[in-house]
Amino acid sequence: MTKAFSIFGSGSRPHLGPFEQQVLQKLWSQGSATVRELLADGKIHQAYTTVMTTADRLYKKGLLDRVAEGRAFRYTPRHTPEELQRVTALESIRQLLGSGDASSLPLSYLVEALSSHDAQLLDELQLLVETKRRELQSRENNNKVRDAKGREQR
Amino acid sequence: MFALRGIAVSLTFFVLFYCLLSTLVVVAWRSLKLLHATEQRVAALLFGLRVLPLVAAVAITFAFVVPSFQLLEPRSIDEGMGAMPLVLGICALLLIACGCFRVITAQATTSRVVARWLEGARPLDAGAEMVTFRSRREAPPLTLVGVRRARVLVSDSTVALLSHEELQIALKHELAHMRSRDNLKKLIFRFCPFPGMARLESAWSQAAELAADDAAVSKLDDAVDLAAALVKLSRLIPVEAAPICTVGFVTGSISARVARLLAWDEADKVQPTRIRAWRVIPPAVAALVCVCVTYGPALALTHEVTEWLVGG
Repeated sequence: MTKAFSIFGSGSRPHLGPFEQQVLQKLWSQGSATVRELLADGKIHQAYTTVMTTADRLYKKGLLDRVAEGRAFRYTPRHTPEELQRVTALESIRQLLGSGDASSLPLSYLVEALSSHDAQLLDELQLLVETKRRELQSRENNNKVRDAKGREQR
Repeated sequence: MFALRGIAVSLTFFVLFYCLLSTLVVVAWRSLKLLHATEQRVAALLFGLRVLPLVAAVAITFAFVVPSFQLLEPRSIDEGMGAMPLVLGICALLLIACGCFRVITAQATTSRVVARWLEGARPLDAGAEMVTFRSRREAPPLTLVGVRRARVLVSDSTVALLSHEELQIALKHELAHMRSRDNLKKLIFRFCPFPGMARLESAWSQAAELAADDAAVSKLDDAVDLAAALVKLSRLIPVEAAPICTVGFVTGSISARVARLLAWDEADKVQPTRIRAWRVIPPAVAALVCVCVTYGPALALTHEVTEWLVGG
């Protein structure tokens, strides 16, 4: 597992090239495949050797498992997309916490980021509540006016 | 020796069933599809699933294992005991001891923390149907504490922040938690530990919050007041983590709860349906008949397995 982490930067997405991501996506959708099977539906427009090299690189990064099948390899993703997202996020946090000289400093950045995110979210929610309340009040006022008019007409 | 063997065999069956059922629950609960069920039912079902391994293991042990040993095991034979029942029996004892320890520590921690929160607290006449205290500023904003004598603590900050209507509806939310005995349920979870159950407990917690929201709200104004109270109290930063036997008002996904409350529609409020007797009695009678008919063979089968276990 730790091998897989080394490829991730501090962001929440793994540092994979576009083609590596495409091969990984394809393997997630197919479950497992050989290079020939990956190329079979014609959606990957690359040479056999390019796909083979990319799959080998993903294997060496610890993202794929492989078993020999004849003269080729059958590749299987080692993690589900959710697992990969989780371990990436955890590793990013771990890297952040281990990055500074003063150990409490990165933690304070994290708390600051979370607090500002929370505050922003709460501001948005408060706005929604106030809008709904105004909507309710105006509806109530309209009903009162309508009732008053009805009484006058009678 | 007979009694000791009986206890070892019963504990062995208990721990085997407990682990087997717990594993099944951990693996299978997420495949449940409850699209049209009310949150109250979802919470009840998740709670049922969480405690099912414990309840079923105890029921099977007392209904089948103990009677089969008592009735079918010859007392005169001085049989030895294999290693398996001994080891599994010790595992069962450790499991029970671990459960008791977790319950006692949870209760003790809660009592200690709540006693601190209650220092200098005074009764609050909020017109709610439960004992309510106004606690100091450092206490959590709004919390239901206790299992047997449930009380609600409302902090000074909460009273200052919320309008009368918002406070009333927030207290109704806590009253719903009290009526569904959510603190007791949390304590029961502590008694039956098993790896992988945390997600099920978290799903239950979220469903219990939504069910309490539903129980508190009866019209759109209430829903908006409850949403406003949630947003306001979310801004208060808790000084310390809440202990196990407490239910905080600001729990679960706040944005999901607020969005749900703002989309509240009176037409969607499902009235609790009474379970009709004619729907329950026939299946219950059929199940009882099945148990009666198959009880003898089941005891014999249990005894065969017992023999294999003791012999092994």
